Amino acid sequence: MAKKLKAIVRLQLTAGKANPAPPVGPALAGHGINIMAFCKDYNARTQARAGEVLPAEITIYTDGSFTFILKSPPASVLLKKAAGVEKGSAVPNRDKVGKVTRAQVREIAEIKMKDTNAVDIEDAMRQIEGTARNMGITVVD
Amino acid sequence: MAEARWLEVSLTVDGEMAEAVSEVLNRFVSQGVVVEQAVQYNDAEDLGTPYGPVKVYGYLIIDDQIEETRQRLEEALYFIQPLPEANFRAIADENWMESWKKHYHPIPIGEKLLILPAWVEEYDPARIPVRIDPSMAFGTGTHPTTQLCMAMVEKYTLPGKPVIDVGCGSGILSIAALKLGASKAVGVDIDNASVKATDENAEANGVADHLECGVGSVRELRQGHFSLRRAPVVVANILAPVIIRLFDDGLADLVEHGGTLVLSGILAEQAPGVEAAGKARGLEFVERVQQNDWVAIVLRQP
Repeated sequence: MAKKLKAIVRLQLTAGKANPAPPVGPALAGHGINIMAFCKDYNARTQARAGEVLPAEITIYTDGSFTFILKSPPASVLLKKAAGVEKGSAVPNRDKVGKVTRAQVREIAEIKMKDTNAVDIEDAMRQIEGTARNMGITVVD
Repeated sequence: MAEARWLEVSLTVDGEMAEAVSEVLNRFVSQGVVVEQAVQYNDAEDLGTPYGPVKVYGYLIIDDQIEETRQRLEEALYFIQPLPEANFRAIADENWMESWKKHYHPIPIGEKLLILPAWVEEYDPARIPVRIDPSMAFGTGTHPTTQLCMAMVEKYTLPGKPVIDVGCGSGILSIAALKLGASKAVGVDIDNASVKATDENAEANGVADHLECGVGSVRELRQGHFSLRRAPVVVANILAPVIIRLFDDGLADLVEHGGTLVLSGILAEQAPGVEAAGKARGLEFVERVQQNDWVAIVLRQP
């Protein structure tokens, strides 16, 4: 039966640009979340970093109230930036779109460390490498 | 129904796959992807642990190329093994700024009170309205713990006497007490968002002059950070393990002799533990009320 906490929703949003259009509206309205209150607060908190992808992790309570924290940018965004590419490969096992060095992977793993379930930095690096592989980005030494 | 404008694509995957699937979806969807996971409680102390499969979803704009986009998306997903199944669902444009409101309705509480969503204009004039704007603080009025506690506030509030509200959330209990004639309410919460919500809701209910609210808990109240150190009525709607800890900080000492302590946020099976903690501090049992699997407990300071 109903405990106080219901679900955790992570939304990838662009800093300062949350609005009620999808994904925010349909993802949150169904939980009874005050859309305007969320957008206003997200935009206010992220204003200084406009343009960056800053995911919000929203904790939803069974009575429709919520809290949220900001997370680090997604690994894929950081990988694309590091590799200097616009987007991931459509056929990642065949067409490679770019390269990142192991040092860059470590840097990304350090940023992501607090947001992942990784037990240590090596584990976090393996997760980042896995994401890179799925995007057609090669990791080089 | 309005014409479908969006195609929702969703995949249910295990946690480790979520990042890879999100990345693929991100290349196609409008704005960003959504990752949703349910929460479970491993024991009474647990504040909620994510569990079970993860739902990853996003929204494609339906335009002339939608079939082609969908095909390219499915091809891209093919490279993630084992292949999760993608579900597609067309949805119409909706006024999401308004549609979340349909989850809230006026809720009569006890004999006299009425929880009223902030935007509802018409209501039963025989009841005393407590207006709440559901937002970033617990206590929108739809949860059994809030309703139970509010009914007890109605029963035990003493007109002309003050109230202390520990863990005030949206401020709903303090506001109810003031509307029932309490002379003053002091609400504390460890969350800054709650303090802000309480102040706003107090303003909307016309009781801001009598409601003092700030960041803090039992310790700060006892140290005199607020204008009341004790009151004849003290309410705490939090969670059982937290309430038990607050007894160690002196929760019982906030209650004046002959005064009442109303506790809520307690699951039925946790009630004996909370009652025992109260009795260990010299409080006497008055009553216990239950709604679904939640209970509120009323204790008295002799």
